[in-house]
Amino acid sequence: MSERIFGGVLFLVSIAGIWIGWDLQPPFSYEPVGPRAFPLLVLFLLGLCAVSLMLSRHGEAKWAPAPVMRRIGVLFVIVLGYALLFDKLGFVIATALMTIPVARFFGGTWTQCAAGGAGLGVGMYFFFDRLLDVALPTGQWLTTITG
Amino acid sequence: MDTLSLLMHGFAVAATPENLMIALIGCFLGTVVGLLPGLGPINGVAILLPIAFAMKLPPESALILLCAVYAGCEYGGRISAILINVPGDAGAVMTTMDGHPMAKQGLAGPALSMSAMASFTGALVATIGIVAFAPLLAEWAIAFGPAEYFVLMVLALSCLGGLVGDSLPKAMTACLIGLLLSTVGIDSNSGVYRFTFDMLHLQDGIPFIVIVIGLFAVSELLLMLQSAHTTGEPISLTGRLMFNTKEFMLAKWTMLRSAVSGFFIGVLPGAGATIASAMCYAAERRMAGKDHRFGNGDIRGVAAPEAANNASANGSLVPMLTLGVPGSGTTAVMIGALTLYNITPGPTLFQDQPAIVWGLIASLFIANVMLLVMNIPLIRVFVKFLSIPTWLLVPGVAAISMVGVYAVHGTTFDLILGTLIGGVGYLLRVMNFPIAPFILGFVLGDMMEQNLRRALSISDGDVAVLFASPISIGLWIAALAMLVGPRLARAVEQRRHRAPSPAV
Repeated sequence: MSERIFGGVLFLVSIAGIWIGWDLQPPFSYEPVGPRAFPLLVLFLLGLCAVSLMLSRHGEAKWAPAPVMRRIGVLFVIVLGYALLFDKLGFVIATALMTIPVARFFGGTWTQCAAGGAGLGVGMYFFFDRLLDVALPTGQWLTTITG
Repeated sequence: MDTLSLLMHGFAVAATPENLMIALIGCFLGTVVGLLPGLGPINGVAILLPIAFAMKLPPESALILLCAVYAGCEYGGRISAILINVPGDAGAVMTTMDGHPMAKQGLAGPALSMSAMASFTGALVATIGIVAFAPLLAEWAIAFGPAEYFVLMVLALSCLGGLVGDSLPKAMTACLIGLLLSTVGIDSNSGVYRFTFDMLHLQDGIPFIVIVIGLFAVSELLLMLQSAHTTGEPISLTGRLMFNTKEFMLAKWTMLRSAVSGFFIGVLPGAGATIASAMCYAAERRMAGKDHRFGNGDIRGVAAPEAANNASANGSLVPMLTLGVPGSGTTAVMIGALTLYNITPGPTLFQDQPAIVWGLIASLFIANVMLLVMNIPLIRVFVKFLSIPTWLLVPGVAAISMVGVYAVHGTTFDLILGTLIGGVGYLLRVMNFPIAPFILGFVLGDMMEQNLRRALSISDGDVAVLFASPISIGLWIAALAMLVGPRLARAVEQRRHRAPSPAV
């Protein structure tokens, strides 16, 4: 069933894409094939695939049982939150905050999670930012304090 | 002779102290990533690519790092397969069949050392194969015009589409989504903004690294929670570490045969390490005669899949280097790495960038010697990594992934986009959509469109140009055959085996 729903969504996406893509024309052009031909071709084929997904009775997706799905949803939200706060809180704090609940999900004890969070945050900051010269955010809050 | 001098030149590039060090680090990291259950070569390469880019490594060093990681992953996968019966990556599935029984019988040491030896044989044979065949293929492909190129990419996509996944519409859908995402951003020919929805951050298109991390790191984390396998305690490594002469003599031809066939399977786009190891294991089992112990801990059952696995992993570098058309997800990521450095992959690579190509090939030789040395005496060090708890591993991978994405532009937008793509990738993977065609489509999309437009510009819009030369007609036929052939063969096979037969 989930494949069919996905096929339906995909079909709507390809219709919308063709709607938007139809207007992709340059004011003047020297070449016979403009910028819209390739996306339209891809969207058209995608629409065909979407229809065949809607019609097919092929293998059923193996969704995890409901409680696991909920945890996966929460994990996704945590990662999304991490992405959002990465720059604002700075790498060390954001990583520590992300590690604690994620580690809990995977069976760490509270002590392990706290130690792991602090360790990953500080350790990786030094490893990447100082040792490998990959710049990481220190966080906006720090700059407001230190001026 | 010319090839030999170029190879020597390659060794000069690969043997600088920095590059040797990079290869060593890559081999070590690769083996560790490979042995961690759930993380395979594509995750390893995907996670390390942005870091290599952020560290501003020169292109040849970055590629050496990625190739060393790739080679290392193929070595690492077998360690967890043998000791905890969980393959570290998909290519090592067959190694569990005999490797784990051997470990249970107290022969973990010989199983590990023999599989390391087999991995080395496979990789060595394949690297020699690259040296022998790649320049020839590149020379032949140099005559390709834009029309032939376009059809060649169609062939690459249909090879992968025909071989992976459980249904053709799914593989094609994945590939088309990749192609569609590649059109986002400003069109370089006309300056038209395509599908940017007035978002400033989408003007240059979706960064390759964002897609790669989303698809192969973020979605992997979600899948890890789903499959949260309660891995058993690893079997401890006691007794002798090395295989003895008798075991070696038994397995030597198996290794060589599997290495050669693994290489050729790897060269074919689409057929990767997983298919190669399964095919060679089945073939050796059939050839072994009556007194085999396949399935109960036969040393040949460890040697065959590991030799094939490594040979095909190296073999799949051939189409990537010579045609610029990757045949697997991992090589697609590497092609993406080349384009990050503004190097156009394709047959001209051998002429334009000999230092990179031959340096990479030479570094494969070096990396494999390093891996053999690391994997036999130092095996106990790697076994230690099996006890990294998941509760530390998962947040660690999440953090490294974000570091990689952040390093590209340093925007929150990219991080969020990567996470969202990861969510979609998770849904696709649960619904059995293959992910390799997705990334291949995204990597090839721009080149495909450019070549199509160039071809049609030359012919002034006449579509017949795509079917004009004998090469392109041949490629079209091959593409069609690859798309339909494997499924047709499988259907025929199933019909023939309708009568009950034991599973292989």
